[in-house]
Amino acid sequence: MHLAGYFLLCACFLLALALAGACLLQLRGLFPDALRWAERGNALFTLCFTASCAVLIAALVRSDFSFVYVFSHTDRALGFFYRLTAFWAGQEGSLMFWAWTMALCGACFPLLRGYTTLPEEVKLWYWAFYGCVLAFFCLVLTAWSTPFQAFSPAPEDGNGLNPILQNPGMIFHPPLLLLGYGGFTIPGCLALACALSRELGNEGPSWAERTRPFILMAWLTLSAGIILGAWWSYMELGWGGYWAWDPVENASLVPWLAASAYLHTAVIEARRGKLLRVNVFLMALITVSAFFATYMVRGNVVQSLHAFGDSAAGLPLLLFVLLSLIVSAYVSLTAPAQSEPLADPLSREGLLACVAWVFLALGIMIVLATLWPVISKLWSAQSVGLTPAFYNRACLPLFTLLALLLCACPWLGWGGGLTHKFQAGAAALLFVLALVVFLVMGISKPLALVSAAAAVGVASSLCLYCGAVPGTLRLPRALAAHGVHLGFALMVLGVAFSGPYKQETTASLAPGNSVTLGGYTLRLDALEQNDSFVHDNPTPEAAQKARTAAGDMPRYIFVEAKLSAFLNGKPAGELRPQARIYAKRPEQISLESDTLFGMGTEVYATLHGLDDQNKAQLTLSLNPLVNWIWAGGILLSLFPFLGMAKRGRGDG
Amino acid sequence: MRGTRKSFRLYLVALALFLAGTGYLLYAGFSEGSAYFLEVSEALAMPPEKLNAVKVFGTVRAEGLSREGQRVSFLLQDKNDPSVFLPASYAGTIPDGFKPGAELILDGSYEPRSKVFKAQSLITKCPSKYKKENRT
Repeated sequence: MHLAGYFLLCACFLLALALAGACLLQLRGLFPDALRWAERGNALFTLCFTASCAVLIAALVRSDFSFVYVFSHTDRALGFFYRLTAFWAGQEGSLMFWAWTMALCGACFPLLRGYTTLPEEVKLWYWAFYGCVLAFFCLVLTAWSTPFQAFSPAPEDGNGLNPILQNPGMIFHPPLLLLGYGGFTIPGCLALACALSRELGNEGPSWAERTRPFILMAWLTLSAGIILGAWWSYMELGWGGYWAWDPVENASLVPWLAASAYLHTAVIEARRGKLLRVNVFLMALITVSAFFATYMVRGNVVQSLHAFGDSAAGLPLLLFVLLSLIVSAYVSLTAPAQSEPLADPLSREGLLACVAWVFLALGIMIVLATLWPVISKLWSAQSVGLTPAFYNRACLPLFTLLALLLCACPWLGWGGGLTHKFQAGAAALLFVLALVVFLVMGISKPLALVSAAAAVGVASSLCLYCGAVPGTLRLPRALAAHGVHLGFALMVLGVAFSGPYKQETTASLAPGNSVTLGGYTLRLDALEQNDSFVHDNPTPEAAQKARTAAGDMPRYIFVEAKLSAFLNGKPAGELRPQARIYAKRPEQISLESDTLFGMGTEVYATLHGLDDQNKAQLTLSLNPLVNWIWAGGILLSLFPFLGMAKRGRGDG
Repeated sequence: MRGTRKSFRLYLVALALFLAGTGYLLYAGFSEGSAYFLEVSEALAMPPEKLNAVKVFGTVRAEGLSREGQRVSFLLQDKNDPSVFLPASYAGTIPDGFKPGAELILDGSYEPRSKVFKAQSLITKCPSKYKKENRT
């Protein structure tokens, strides 16, 4: 079966190359009927690639450990669902999944009206670009990072999926990110194709309009993936934080920033017919940055908390990124496009352009900062890296600036000037009022104060705007934008409070003891365990015990702390954090934190294990307004669905 | 045409303001958040007074490991050269996977008097044989 899967991938590589080559030949007038063949070839490609994925899925489901990939990421004790999701647990599988989402999007696009009504030349260029990207993926999957490596003889059992990945958040986080990465490829290739065929700014729907469902779907899945990853990190990793500015997290944020910059300049193009070339470049940049992000974390370029294995795919990825960047820049710069210059910075158009600047600046800063340990080697003998303090100091203010721009944007006319003076004044007043109220409440850190007031400002601005222009509520696309912005405001509010105002303490408690933290008292009522849990240095005996336990009983042994929380003396609820030792990972303690949900302050408890005297080692924290981040994230990821509606009159 | 030129100038002003602001943020960020990222051998080769707020990567040596409640002292060994090591200590919550052979990332500073690296934070890296999005 390994060979079947592998050869299917090889066939896909040849098909993709042939597809791109044939289209280029027709463009030169050498192969008159290439387009028809390319369309069929693409259908065949999708079929072969899907079959190849099916081989891997079947191996995962059947627990066929003769596949190195299946051996490394699953075991017999793992449930069916987690076995299936191991598809994207490793590097080879996630690259394959990424390519698969691309292939499926690519198979859907020719069925849409957006494609069928395209001029032939555009279609040919589109297939040429798309074929090249697909061919590169297949090359990586067959040459450097293949999921079809075989073991002989096959081992009895596999390594198992790492316990920290056995969490619903982790199941959906990677595929959503990869769906996002994959979805932007279609519009990216079409944008370049239109630029090369001199189709920018012509009559008829633009490339952005034609691929709108892909753009929005990709943006929303990418956003949802990032937010879900943050939530997973908060719930699962036991440190009570949601963002550590680790290279891997930064890598997912960079394409999102590029995509968000594009969404704002795209509005200028749709409404005002400007920035045509900029948009082509930005759209291509999204896909390129997704590749670059992958290179950054998989190519062993920077030290990360995430330990990836050595990958040979690093150099090819880098070369592909450089080549794509040069091609995209050349194509978009040389594209003939006539458009008016932008209106004043103090117009809606101008502010949207500024928003795009901020997004791009954030993207560039984050890339440079992540690569700093490598860059600094140019002049320093020792590499100098940047800690989270850098990002919090340098990047967070720019997110606040975005929120401030968002407060002002609805009130400016496209060409400049205030549109609704009274409501705009009211919004400004509410912003100042929020500033004063938060200051009185004791929020004295300047960034947190301005961010929190800006978040209130955005929300009130949006409400006032919808009141002033009631028609907005009937336009699905406008409503989508407002919903997303409201979600963003809630997230800004959550980050402004939960970051700087988090309180944390560690405690070593025997049953009956308690600890106080910011008005809360937490009492350890009891310790429960399903087996004798050996304290924080698992011995061979403990490992043996865990293995035996796995035979008929649970897959792990655990100890659970029953904590009662009291707020100012009144019972507030119960927390039950666990520490586990999984049979397959006896050398590692897995932490299952627990929270006392609250839209105000959330109590968070992690049990690290027991010490020599059987005292529970706990970390307890209070996270103010942290759940607003998730609430905002949900709005941010769901509202774009509305934006996929057909364009209404006067809709943007 | 005059309007266009004025608008262009305004954009230049906005860009200059923006660049100045970002430049300031970068400057402030660099002065607060930059640290040497060092392997053990590199850390030992540096003058001790420069080892203030640095990040050191290495593995835990089997000998010399002692723990007392939430306090641990150990020898941090160079990843490539096992003969080179740095005495280190840490007090606080000891994370998952801390054991001999574990890859560590330590944040802290070197104390020349006691010749011990005092870690403010200790993070274990997951063993590289699990090629997954691991972290602890």
